[in-house]
Amino acid sequence: MSGAETRDIDERDVSVDTFVERNVGYFAPIFERIQRGKLPLWHLNIWAVLVPWGWAAARGAWLLFWVSLAIDLVALVCLMQVVKFTPLLAQAQADASANTTLIARYSGWITTYGWIGSLLFVGGRLWMGSTANRWYFNQYSRWRIDQSVPHGVDVKRAVLGVLVIALIAPLTIYRATQLRLDERACFNQIRAAEGVDVLLPRYGAESVPALLTAMDAKVDQANAGLAKLEALDALTDDQKSERSALRKTVRDLGRSRGLVTNYQNISARDRFDCFTIDDFPTLARLDPPEDVTYRRVPDPDAAGATKVLREVKDPVEGRKVTIFTYSAESIDISINYLRAQYATAFDAMTNVLRQSLIRVEVAFMQTPWPVVAFLFIALSWAFAGNGTTVFVASSLAFLALFELWQIAMQTMALVVVSTAVCVLIGLPIGIWMAKNKLFRWITEPVLDVMQTIPSLSYLVPAVAFFGISQPPAVLATVIFAMPPMIKLTALGILQVPETTKEAALAFGASNRQLLRKVELPMAIPSIMAGLNQTIMLALSMATISAFIGAEGLGAIVTSALGDAQAGKGLLAGIAIALVAMMIDRILKGIRNAFSRI
Amino acid sequence: MSVVELEHVWKVFGNRSAEAMAAIEAEGIGKAEVLRRFEAVVGVKDASFAVEEGEIFCLMGLSGSGKSTLVRHINRLIEPTSGTIRILGEDIGAMKTEALRVLRADKIGMVFQNMALLPHRSVRDNIGFALELRGVDGYTRAQLADNALETVSLHGYGDRLPSELSGGMQQRVGLARALAADPEILLMDEPFSALDPLIRRNLQDEFLGLSQNLKKTTIFITHDLDEAIRMGDRIGIMKDGEIVQIGTAEDIATAPADDYVADFVAGISRLKLVSAAKIMMATDQFTARNGAIDPAAQHPVASPHDDLDTLVGLSTGTDLPVLIKDSDTLVGIVTKDTLLRGLQGGADA
Repeated sequence: MSGAETRDIDERDVSVDTFVERNVGYFAPIFERIQRGKLPLWHLNIWAVLVPWGWAAARGAWLLFWVSLAIDLVALVCLMQVVKFTPLLAQAQADASANTTLIARYSGWITTYGWIGSLLFVGGRLWMGSTANRWYFNQYSRWRIDQSVPHGVDVKRAVLGVLVIALIAPLTIYRATQLRLDERACFNQIRAAEGVDVLLPRYGAESVPALLTAMDAKVDQANAGLAKLEALDALTDDQKSERSALRKTVRDLGRSRGLVTNYQNISARDRFDCFTIDDFPTLARLDPPEDVTYRRVPDPDAAGATKVLREVKDPVEGRKVTIFTYSAESIDISINYLRAQYATAFDAMTNVLRQSLIRVEVAFMQTPWPVVAFLFIALSWAFAGNGTTVFVASSLAFLALFELWQIAMQTMALVVVSTAVCVLIGLPIGIWMAKNKLFRWITEPVLDVMQTIPSLSYLVPAVAFFGISQPPAVLATVIFAMPPMIKLTALGILQVPETTKEAALAFGASNRQLLRKVELPMAIPSIMAGLNQTIMLALSMATISAFIGAEGLGAIVTSALGDAQAGKGLLAGIAIALVAMMIDRILKGIRNAFSRI
Repeated sequence: MSVVELEHVWKVFGNRSAEAMAAIEAEGIGKAEVLRRFEAVVGVKDASFAVEEGEIFCLMGLSGSGKSTLVRHINRLIEPTSGTIRILGEDIGAMKTEALRVLRADKIGMVFQNMALLPHRSVRDNIGFALELRGVDGYTRAQLADNALETVSLHGYGDRLPSELSGGMQQRVGLARALAADPEILLMDEPFSALDPLIRRNLQDEFLGLSQNLKKTTIFITHDLDEAIRMGDRIGIMKDGEIVQIGTAEDIATAPADDYVADFVAGISRLKLVSAAKIMMATDQFTARNGAIDPAAQHPVASPHDDLDTLVGLSTGTDLPVLIKDSDTLVGIVTKDTLLRGLQGGADA
């Protein structure tokens, strides 16, 4: 090495030294060769070949740790298939003529898995040995910028790595060696356990063996009674019925005893398989919630008034439910209660929605079609240019020619009312969200849920509260279509530069003036984008809300779905898309015409 | 009565600023200690100054020295952690929101480095913004805005959008906006820093001209010492949140308070800054060394207020020293030696 080079390396050695801590003599030249691009691919880190995850954990290269662990586990799982199928193959070969297909299948699997597993294992190890040092060099580069990146060799990390492996590897490998249990097996186990749970208190037994002894005693007692009766020559009617009762007891006891012995005979391995590795052990069985219904009935004490009547049904004997069923039934009961208790409020809301829908529908459907068509074309011509005007005119022609005009107008009315509600509620919420950090923190997840929860799952409660047809459809649409309105309003206001707001304040703006004269006008482009999104989403909900009886183009699509009429569905779908695009293009034109920023 | 008066103003940033302030008052701990113990940053440290009516007061300091923070205390965009600020004799710390709003709208105009114009409003509506907030009707607003536009020589640009104007023109609009409501105080936060040198010089000159007519009390923030010297009647130099020296440009150039200020003024030209009175030699000292002055000789004569530039002009073309006379009384003498020393910066030469 020349003098100049030595000095270079000496300087760097200081930091490599601190980073590597052990084996500096090995890593310093390696790192230098990596930097020079001269480390050959076949240069292997022996430790990384032998125990890649161990090496990675000790060195703090956690990504390499997980990757190497995953590769090794997948390879081992493949090899375990060989272990799993070899005895089965031997079993099948015992009666070779009867099992030709099985033999071919098993030996095929054994060969394939054997090869994949071995190749993956050997190839994975070689790859890790070759890349480990490069990986470590990257970690070194990151560490030089950010000293919190793990460095050196740490026994604690190695122990942690071993613990992680101990948690993951044995179960995974055990699972790979076992054939999957019959689905019914686990179910039967649960049933048996439940049966035993019921029987234990009935016989006052503490454990399963004690239960069996108690049952045996009962059987003996019944048999003794029977023997006494059989010994008699002639039986009275009473004695006959007593005999048949005793016979029944013996039969029932025999069945129960069979259940208990079955339970006792379940092998420890099967129990382990079912409850530990096959599925999450959802063993909790609860008493179901009280089966209550609430109904609003005329109040006998006050004429003309109504009250909520609470009716409780007798519980089904011995019924146990899972946590899921318990919660679902509780929710049903709460909905039922709310519906009965606040019937007036819900009915009033439904009524407001229905009335406004009717007004808007009248406006769209009873205005002569030439007028509506003219308005659309005029709007697009005034704001959105010639191309859009042609598009709007042909879309309208499509609707008219296919006799979808009135139905499309109905959809339009639904969209207009939904959008109006979205704006009326969404705009203030968006403003509040922009102004209040805590409220923003609370609202954001709620909005995400509103957008992602499948609409079909809240259509059901919507129907429960608001009945069927248009009003609940509007509500479902509002839930689905409002989030972008809120989010983009908040975003637009938050995006107003701090300096601009400061200037307004410096000239004596009050908070209200700041909002009205600075923040809202500057947020307009964002708000308009939100409005646009809201309209599009409202239209896309048209089909879904047809499931609860909303009329319009969506209803054609759903009925086509029911009758498997592809053509009808497609044409109605295209009509929805055209309506959406018309509104979008016209709005965009209006936005551009008025926007200054 | 001073128009703007600051007394022992402190600003400590951080969640525990009150505790930090208490500790500063009780124990007199330093910045580093405050940061370590309270995770709080001292933005302004014990600032006191007063600005008289019609004066242009420059706050000069490098970025991060707290000058923009300090100026925002004057209209309470930033609340001081401790200290008093009086505008026209009134303590603004005690003002309620509404009174403060009226003060901002009526008495104080502000110009920002990045203009901060409203992009959705025309130039005229931007200029009328403060008036609009005050509730002035649209017609009057338009008239006042047009007047203000004329003042900054942007006549006829009222209907443009800010984005259609160049940076220099936008800053003129910013200035017009600050002037339109005819405030008594102008706060100018590095108004010309973002402009290129030619336009900056141009605007500086125009602003000086305007200022002579309008006589607004102005607090002018800059990081450029040359600008501070050109614009300021007095200059306050800030360092790390502290005002280290306040004085006229000449005071600061000839008697810097510490090495930091000395470093600053080392590079500037003293020709137009330093007056004869600062460098002249006493008459008896001169006569003791060189003998009596020959009254017949054609000595060049200057007044004590004349700057070095004038003295250089007078003393070229003659070997005789310059006599400094204050209304015909001989007060001192400037030889070529003293002149050269004075130019070089030896303050007491």
